[in-house]
Amino acid sequence: MRARLPEFPTQHIDRGQEISFSYLGKRMSGLGGDSVAVAMYDNGVRIFSRSLKYHRPRGLYSLDGESANTLMNIDGIPNENAEKRRLRDGMEVSAQNVRGRPDTDFYSFINWFDRFMPAGFYYRMFHRPYKLWPFFLNRIRKMAGVGTLDIHREFDDSRRFEIFLNADVAVIGGGTAGMNAALAAAGQGLRVCLFEHRAWLGGHMDWRVVEFEDEPLFERARGLAKQVEANTQIRLFTQAPVTGIWGNKLITAYQTGKDGEYFDERYIECRAKSVVVASGCIERPLVCNNNERPGVMQVNTAWRLARTYAITPGKRIVFSIGDDLGLEAALDLAELGLKVLAVADARSDKQNADLLTRLQSAGIEYLPGWAASNVKGGKHVRGVELSELNGSQTCSFKCDLLVASAGQQAVIGPLSTAGAKFRYCTETGLFQPTEMPPKMFSAGRMTGLTHPGSIDTSGTIAGLEAAAACDRDVSTNLDAARRAAAKLPGETKGCDLVYGPGIGAGRKAFICFDGDGTFKNAVQSASQGFDAPELAKRFGGFGLGPGQYQVPGQNLAMAMSNINGTPIENSQFTTVRPPLVPLTLATCVGPRHNIYKQTPLHRDQKARGGIFRNAGVWRRARYFSPDLDCRPEIRNVRENVGLLDGSSLGNFRIYGPDALRALQRVYVSNMEKSREGRCKYSAMCNETGNIVDDGVVTKVADDNYYFTTTSNRAGITIEWFRYHTRFDDWDFKLVNLTDSMGSINVAGPNARNLLQKVTKEDLSNEAFPYMAYKELIVGDGVSARCLRLGFVGELSFELHVAASHSQYVWDLLWEAGQEFKVHPFGMEAQNCLRAEKGHVIVGTESEQRVTLLDIGLGFLWDSNDTSSNKVGAPALRACENQQGRMKLVGFRVSESGVTPLDGDIVVDGNDIVGYVCTTRISESLDCSYGMALVKDGYATRGEKIRMCQALGKRHDEYTATVVPPQFYDPDGQRLRT
Amino acid sequence: MSLKLRNNQVKSSETRAICGLERLWGTSPLKSHYDVVLIGGGIHGLATAYYLAKEHGIKDVAVLERRYIGYGGSGRNTAIVRANQRTQENVKLYDEGLKLWPKLIDELDFNLMFFNCGNLNLAHSEAAVSAFRLAVSTANFCNVQSELLDPQQCKELVPALDISDRPYHPIHGGMYHGPGGIVRHDAVVWGLAKGAFKHGAHIHQGVEVLGIDTDGQKITGVQTNRGSISCNRLAVMAGGYSASVCEMVGMELPVHPLTIQAMVTQPLKPFLHHVVSSGAYHCYANQTLKGEVATGAHMDPQVNYSTTPTAWYMKHQAEALCEFLPCLKGVKFMRIWAGLADMTPDMAPIMDGNVMYDGLFIDVGWGYFGFKSGPITGKYMAEFIADDEAPDILKPFALNRFLENRYMGETAGATNYGHWN
Amino acid sequence: MSFTITCPICGERDVYEFHFGGRDRGPPPSHDNLTIEEYLRYAQFRTTRTEAQLEWWFHSNGCGSWFTTWRNPANNREEKPQEMSNDQQ
Repeated sequence: MRARLPEFPTQHIDRGQEISFSYLGKRMSGLGGDSVAVAMYDNGVRIFSRSLKYHRPRGLYSLDGESANTLMNIDGIPNENAEKRRLRDGMEVSAQNVRGRPDTDFYSFINWFDRFMPAGFYYRMFHRPYKLWPFFLNRIRKMAGVGTLDIHREFDDSRRFEIFLNADVAVIGGGTAGMNAALAAAGQGLRVCLFEHRAWLGGHMDWRVVEFEDEPLFERARGLAKQVEANTQIRLFTQAPVTGIWGNKLITAYQTGKDGEYFDERYIECRAKSVVVASGCIERPLVCNNNERPGVMQVNTAWRLARTYAITPGKRIVFSIGDDLGLEAALDLAELGLKVLAVADARSDKQNADLLTRLQSAGIEYLPGWAASNVKGGKHVRGVELSELNGSQTCSFKCDLLVASAGQQAVIGPLSTAGAKFRYCTETGLFQPTEMPPKMFSAGRMTGLTHPGSIDTSGTIAGLEAAAACDRDVSTNLDAARRAAAKLPGETKGCDLVYGPGIGAGRKAFICFDGDGTFKNAVQSASQGFDAPELAKRFGGFGLGPGQYQVPGQNLAMAMSNINGTPIENSQFTTVRPPLVPLTLATCVGPRHNIYKQTPLHRDQKARGGIFRNAGVWRRARYFSPDLDCRPEIRNVRENVGLLDGSSLGNFRIYGPDALRALQRVYVSNMEKSREGRCKYSAMCNETGNIVDDGVVTKVADDNYYFTTTSNRAGITIEWFRYHTRFDDWDFKLVNLTDSMGSINVAGPNARNLLQKVTKEDLSNEAFPYMAYKELIVGDGVSARCLRLGFVGELSFELHVAASHSQYVWDLLWEAGQEFKVHPFGMEAQNCLRAEKGHVIVGTESEQRVTLLDIGLGFLWDSNDTSSNKVGAPALRACENQQGRMKLVGFRVSESGVTPLDGDIVVDGNDIVGYVCTTRISESLDCSYGMALVKDGYATRGEKIRMCQALGKRHDEYTATVVPPQFYDPDGQRLRT
Repeated sequence: MSLKLRNNQVKSSETRAICGLERLWGTSPLKSHYDVVLIGGGIHGLATAYYLAKEHGIKDVAVLERRYIGYGGSGRNTAIVRANQRTQENVKLYDEGLKLWPKLIDELDFNLMFFNCGNLNLAHSEAAVSAFRLAVSTANFCNVQSELLDPQQCKELVPALDISDRPYHPIHGGMYHGPGGIVRHDAVVWGLAKGAFKHGAHIHQGVEVLGIDTDGQKITGVQTNRGSISCNRLAVMAGGYSASVCEMVGMELPVHPLTIQAMVTQPLKPFLHHVVSSGAYHCYANQTLKGEVATGAHMDPQVNYSTTPTAWYMKHQAEALCEFLPCLKGVKFMRIWAGLADMTPDMAPIMDGNVMYDGLFIDVGWGYFGFKSGPITGKYMAEFIADDEAPDILKPFALNRFLENRYMGETAGATNYGHWN
Repeated sequence: MSFTITCPICGERDVYEFHFGGRDRGPPPSHDNLTIEEYLRYAQFRTTRTEAQLEWWFHSNGCGSWFTTWRNPANNREEKPQEMSNDQQ
């Protein structure tokens, strides 16, 4: 650390806090408040990185992360912007994209080969002969990229959070315009959120010492900041850059935590009723030869190094500027005792007379109508040539710092992502908004104002307009503010310099730093037909780097107009894309949201060794066999009795005078046939006749039904019913009971014996036959809806009980089942059991090519009913007698040697004619069996079909015989006993 | 202070001459009649023009583009190419398409930057593994390389993957398709424009079709912002805007225009050497030659002609990536954008000719997969237009399939972007 | 996008709370005397113009109701077509 400049109130450093860090293994130190880049600069680092294409040395150019120049690896994380990252104790910083060190990079020789790399050169080279392309491809890949990611490094994301806000007025930009806007809106009693990317408010007034109304600008700004901080209506977010404004005024930002705060970074979404954008200006880089040499920096960079961080930016300084801020900065640095040799000003007139007088009295050479034409020095500025804009005179200076800018460019990002339209203003030299999205307002410097009073008043006006958009009556205040504004200076003349004098072919005059895009490349792009900025951006690679549009944005638009010879006011800005500042993925994620539903028996099933899988929104026990084999589970159901937690199944109640009509609409069957005490199996189709759901419906009483759906479908069942009856004005109520009910399936030959032990109800086959429905009292008086179904092909009772009683009922059954050696079974066992029975699962045995009829469920459809307008019925009719459709068949494989698998294909010659939906080896059947969808020509019973399994290099073929899919107990004796 | 005179200010016109680079494709006068007019200056339109001119001797062709060529889906996709689709009909077409790239690069003398890195699809459930078996067997049966991998093999291929049970959807396996990869999408547009122009086709940018002229059963021309143009044959290849163009002749299509989004991270040195995609997370990722991780996949289900991205999706994508590629947590998003996808109910395109009117050809409904198959489709659409008869390979893609309720089976589920279909 | 939809019951909410139900085309045709082609066109074929249209939306993460609202698919703003909004003024 060098000696800093004396203390002054504009500074934001803590001299009492010395922070040590390392750069490339070398120990360095900085002060509290320093950014990493600032501290590095203070420690003498001048070359921060090497550029992407030419490996040119790059230095500290901006302080707000406008280019990739200062992307570093910090604490193992690549592409961290050292300008924005606050210095912390123990930080380890290293350079990127260099072979060796940035000051001695091995690849720097590439700089001399630019002639061979014109815009778009990639597309013209390396492809002939094609055989060599992979070699070049690998070279290109290795040269590309910036940082190096360590894929094995664990990223600590434990302190990333998120907040979702609603605001009446959101203000973007904490300069004086933004602060005045926030105060004006808050004064109307509105809730305001203010977003500022720096750690403090004040914008560009924060370091200016000139006086306005007898007060230095920085003190004025700080006074305003105190008011903002004290205002309880304003929620203030500093260190919170806005990443975009999305549809209907949704603002996203992220905030970096200050020392002691609970988060490292937090993601912010704020939906506002109205928005004020006062995002201000950044400097427009001066395009001249070697304009990105280390030692060339923006006006505000040099100025803030001195005023904010008390660092001497250079020993001999030359300025080439385009606005009054540049003059003010030169004077201010001179007054701080720095050696300012000369100031070239791209403007010939309209300068602030007072500043010129002061410049003269300070003895600084002033060259109006001049600009830097060439920067000398290999790795760092050693001198600069200044030229008159018409090129007639040139002079050179020996210096170590060129402070260069071509004036200002508006920060159009936030407004642009919100959909505002911009047009280049020939007066201010800025792209200014011409068309604003509804309820959005702009203020401050970006509107072309430079006078402090005008800027403040524009903020007040915008804040009041935003309040008016929130239905506040602000007419009196607004009139007063507008009258005040009318008396203040308006838009200021800006700088229209496209590039510096003597640019020549522009070989080393950079429009885009990150992509090494030169003026020459822009010319090359145009001459190859890519003459619009948007095309040049893609072809020449302008503005596609980590700094995004900030450095090349306006310059590219102006350069392309210049090259094409089109009027500058017609020049177009390339599309600005969010995020406006780079957003770390972990910050975007915030805390990890992995939310799933647990059944009321989840913990119990886990304790019994259940192996869980995601099943839609649920997590369910799929296996109770550590080897995933499931044979004991299956055997137990077939021979004894098993318990299944089926709580994710959809359960619904529908009641009301039109309940039956609603059921008739969505189910394919004639639902008039559902009777009290009976379960009716049916299915729902979509409008093209694909099955989307199946389940049972039981009539509880007149106009009162209870029905089940598949687990996947439960979430949208109400939506579906209501959608398909939305024009009917029917009177029915529909209640989703899924989450409030647990479901336990008691299945197996001993099911009745087991269940009888916990209820007094007569469960005999006569009293409670197959497909019957009863409401039972079990145990100590828990009521349960009991459905006698047979999905798994055995005698079984499904008990639906309140979620809170589910564990009690399970325990009851478990205890009662001890004498039968009851065992739980999971989804996979159920899957095997049902497949043996030929019962389909929607989405497993069905797909978009097959209708309800194709999968053998045509018997469910009441084809005579056209008056109910059953969903999908005409589509079923269309396919009823159609040839060439796929059909669901059962098959058996007797060959040994190949194990059939789900997804094997059915083939004939060179054609694929079907595929296997589900196949398993059955103990009960002693063979491989399965269900397949095959073209109808292959669906005849007894047909031999060829199956093919080709999962790698090996192709295995085997033969199967088409059989009815009811393999196990085809007559259904076991269900009915 | 030393003063010297200098006069090296070079006028832009002179600089242009200095660089010695010619336009990739020239400008042509807009004629009042063309034999064939193609609406849409994307990959499909340009490829069709190229093959009409080159292989069928039909050089009186105009491509009409409303903005600039490649403005739409051709310039907004993430450039993944592959041929491991679900059905044989699709695999055949995409496989030919995949094999065409090296040939096309040579023919056009333009480096399309085909990065043959292979595609790894992740399965996050037993059912997904079964679905991959079907796709793998289908591919191999059609002589397209594809293989089924277990999680460990996935990890060997892509070491950055998290194959533990920490992710919400743990990885159960994968499908690796070696012949796939990525191609530089803009280059394809430019290369095809270069080729089409060289063989005599006209490319008109900034020409917007406002109406379509018919006479009885025949197409006769188009109305544009630059006057009317008569033609003998007209093809609609307008990507996301296809349905609205077809509507100019009252043709309704089973097409939903939807917004699809993609994004890139800041550039990094190569660490991801394959395209990785995951159905369960609705997410794919690959590292471009520039080093950015390009990622995308989500579509909002409401019909849309807007190409503005959403904050919701950026967050969703970050969540997905951090799950199965946790090393990306510290990486930064740089850019998100959106384009239009013209989705059909069966997620397969509609290629047809003489529909509704004689001389009207449609090549629409490509959704988000129109890039992979662009040049090969152009080749066959050119054949279709030239011979007035559908090539066998395109026959399954006719519009009539929807009127017979016969879907192509490209996705397993019944239409997944809205149950009102 | 990231736009909002105004639910008649819950008010203006983020679009991701809703499910889209398509352009309003009036009540579906009666199945009596409906040809198969007419039906299949109805079920699958759609027109989407770049102008405001009346649409069905379902407030799935909210009150659970279907309602119609005007939206322009070109800019995702809830706005009525030009001529309608003029009529009302």
